[in-house]
Amino acid sequence: MTESEHHHDSSRDGSSDATPGGAAGKRRPGELVFTIILVIFSAVLLWNAYGIAGFEALSSPGAIPMGTAAVMLISAAMVLNQTLRKPRAEDETMLQDIVPPLVIVLALFLVAYGVLLEPLGFLPTSLLFLLASIKILSKRSWGFTITVSVGSLLGIYLVFRIVFTVLMPTGIIPEAEILQAIRNLFAGGA
Amino acid sequence: MEHVLALFTVFAHPQLLLLVGLGTFAGVYVGAIPGLSVTMAVSILISFTFSWDVLPAISLMIGIYMGGVYGGSRTAILLNIPGAPSAIATALDGYPMAQRGEAGEAIGVTTVMSFFGGFIGILVLALLAPFVADFALTFQPRDYMLLAVLGILLVGSLSSGSLVKGIFSGALGIGIGAVGMDPLTFTERFTFDIPLLQQGISFIAVMIGMFGVSEALMQLHHVEKAAVRQKISRIVPSFGTIKKHLPLSIQTSSLGVLIGALPGTGGDIAALMAYDHAKRVTKNPSRKFGDGAIEGLVAPETANNAAVGGAFIPMMTLGIPGDAVTAIMIGALFIHGLNPGPMLMVEQPNMFWFIVGALIMANFFMLIFGLTGIKLFTKIVEMPRSVLIPLILLLSIVGAYAVNNSITDVYWMLGFGIFGYFMRHYGYPLGPVILGVILSRLLDDNWRRAIISEREDLGRFFYGIVTSPLSLVLLVAVILIFVSQTPLWTMFRKKDTQPK
Repeated sequence: MTESEHHHDSSRDGSSDATPGGAAGKRRPGELVFTIILVIFSAVLLWNAYGIAGFEALSSPGAIPMGTAAVMLISAAMVLNQTLRKPRAEDETMLQDIVPPLVIVLALFLVAYGVLLEPLGFLPTSLLFLLASIKILSKRSWGFTITVSVGSLLGIYLVFRIVFTVLMPTGIIPEAEILQAIRNLFAGGA
Repeated sequence: MEHVLALFTVFAHPQLLLLVGLGTFAGVYVGAIPGLSVTMAVSILISFTFSWDVLPAISLMIGIYMGGVYGGSRTAILLNIPGAPSAIATALDGYPMAQRGEAGEAIGVTTVMSFFGGFIGILVLALLAPFVADFALTFQPRDYMLLAVLGILLVGSLSSGSLVKGIFSGALGIGIGAVGMDPLTFTERFTFDIPLLQQGISFIAVMIGMFGVSEALMQLHHVEKAAVRQKISRIVPSFGTIKKHLPLSIQTSSLGVLIGALPGTGGDIAALMAYDHAKRVTKNPSRKFGDGAIEGLVAPETANNAAVGGAFIPMMTLGIPGDAVTAIMIGALFIHGLNPGPMLMVEQPNMFWFIVGALIMANFFMLIFGLTGIKLFTKIVEMPRSVLIPLILLLSIVGAYAVNNSITDVYWMLGFGIFGYFMRHYGYPLGPVILGVILSRLLDDNWRRAIISEREDLGRFFYGIVTSPLSLVLLVAVILIFVSQTPLWTMFRKKDTQPK
């Protein structure tokens, strides 16, 4: 790996169980904070697990939760110990390698999707999401963006609503009525 | 024996046959498109096939699994981007072959070898699983508990550079699985008095978040990776080539089945180990390994498809998944009211034979789709990531919502997606988390059963383990995994390999 292409180094991505990510021997930006959060989180869980049944019995409902939380705490502490000793990965920065702006934007889009899904309904929310994210990612013309978004949304809708009969929130579009009208049309024509 | 006839269920029902075919076709493409993984596809599919009958749902998922394990090889050969993790080793020699203008031959060999490996895997499954299940009926609760621990540890240790991170992931999974009401005593666990947490966390939300959203967010790091198109020549390989590599393919297939059958390890690891094996045993490779040796294709491709059949052995007989995908398949069976394990094999042997039949069919479909449709294939694979990523994210949301029609699950999924994204960045394997979630209940139940039957006495519990050969073997295996990671062992190994 040369210095210039490390930003495309997929070996740090953890794309599979056979190749988990991370930079071996180096501490990546944010890794220390992440590890500390894991330690605190594990400690809170252990405290909570102790609260289930204390040390009442080995077969109590709290036994396995306490055991797992203890294992989490110990392993997280060991990772913290290792992380502290590693030198920082000097060639990486938080905004470039860990959470580039695109990731933040897309994550915010996802949250917005969750907020809008029930009030607006599946079709309008999804269309907005696809339009915005495809436009930002592809940097292509609006014509391309609209064609691809509408086309793929239609495909997804047909497959999942009709074939898999998945029910999504309808929101502001009277889907059921429209579908029924189409069915009537075909029934009338037959 | 009449249950074996269930093998033919899938052949007798055109609808099921069609679904297996459709699944395999989709699997080949899902596996091939970088950024779409089989684990991701099966996680999302579970939620969509939720309302289906169990047989069609399983047919579709088996097709996807089989096709997906194979499909990754194509992009590995053509673009040097493994479409699926199990094809990482394939790229090492496949891409050099393509650069020499032998892409067609490489694809042909890969396809036939995947078929061969897949076939061996299914054969071993069909022959062995009934015996394993009989044997499993004698397992004590403590054995199940040890097996579950072993499975999670194996994923953690073989997959990750760091065993501690693997153990953390596994324990986290067990913890997530324990959230909610304890089914035996109705005590609240890890609920923090939040009503939302009383029902527990939907494992589908965890799965889709970890394997769908976090993967898609990861892909954002290289949206603009250009594809290089290759010329494709003849595809169907000559009989001579196949015959020449038969001995190697039998070895690597067996290795694949074995690794697949170990609880916790699957095709990803099988392929890498088989490649390593081929490198060691092949005296005169067709070319140097890494320069386009056919042996470098034969080994990983037979092994990863053989691992599919292997992975079904512990899943069907013990209810313990062989890898992340089978963990998800177990989840699917749970949803459809089936409980994989020795009792399933006794009470519903038809289900087992049906699955074997579906696997056989999927293997044949894979051969057909593998040797045809290359033109269409190159078109689809060139689908830009700028379109693909938003679509994966959208499907993940729909999938998470669809299971319980609940927006809460969508938020869980997003949360785990973002958490998983950071875990990937910092080198924590995600496989053990899913295994932990799926095995949490089994582990908890069997521990409590085991310790109650020993009257809450730890001494008696350990005495029980050391006096039962099976429990002892399992315990030794668990201990070995730990020892193999300690500095002491590394020192020992170094001494061993140093020239005298």
